[in-house]
Amino acid sequence: MNKENINPNEARLGALLRESRVSPALPPRFQEGVWRRIEEAAAPVKAVGGITWLDALAALVLRPRLALATAAVLIVAGALLGVRNGNQMAHQDAQARYLAVVAPNSLR
Amino acid sequence: MNRSLVILLGALVLCAALFGSSYAVSRRVCERCMSKSVSDLDWLQQEFHLSAAEMARIQKLHEGYLPKCAEMCAKIAAKKSELETALNGSTNVNPAAQQKLTELAALRAQCQAQMLQHFTEVSRTMPPEQGRRYLAEMQRLTLGLHEQTESSMSGSMDHEHPH
Repeated sequence: MNKENINPNEARLGALLRESRVSPALPPRFQEGVWRRIEEAAAPVKAVGGITWLDALAALVLRPRLALATAAVLIVAGALLGVRNGNQMAHQDAQARYLAVVAPNSLR
Repeated sequence: MNRSLVILLGALVLCAALFGSSYAVSRRVCERCMSKSVSDLDWLQQEFHLSAAEMARIQKLHEGYLPKCAEMCAKIAAKKSELETALNGSTNVNPAAQQKLTELAALRAQCQAQMLQHFTEVSRTMPPEQGRRYLAEMQRLTLGLHEQTESSMSGSMDHEHPH
């Protein structure tokens, strides 16, 4: 309905009705709360719980540079540990061989 | 299943496989390389960092000791055989078996004394500190087992006869 078509009597009646309606006092910081709700509603919807965290980690894992670096570190660490343990085993074998020659089992 | 979770689990499995295979391969290669050229005395050289001259002296002592050791081992084996014969069919330890046991123990003691004498001679060819360490290590390795057995046996005796 166009404002110009409104009967002046009806406009006056409307104003009287608005004045007669008792409106309760607004709670404190009402306006601030309204704006906050509007902002929250306008913000993009966030994923629930740990899904975002998992997604971020998966994206990190899929980075080629990081994946290559991790693979290289793991291979080097495994090789170093393997060489260390291999040396120890070979050393123990050598000791057992010496003992078997100089101190037969019947004496130990 | 969540795609991210699958990716993370797959990455974990891949990491474990990479690390495990790298460890296994390098360990096997290392063991194979180390055991290719070892002689009976290599452990001495590795463990006590001996020079070529010291190793040559030890090699000579070692070669002198081995026939004596083999002779004592043959005597012990023969005495054990005699003991088995003496015990054969017997339900208790008869005087003959008792005699063989005594002789066997004497032979073992003689052999051990000879072995310890050899260790002492070898330790003297090493630098003093290394020699002491060698002697202590050999005594621990050759005589220590008896102590372990005896202490474990005395422990089990206590357990069975707590009074």
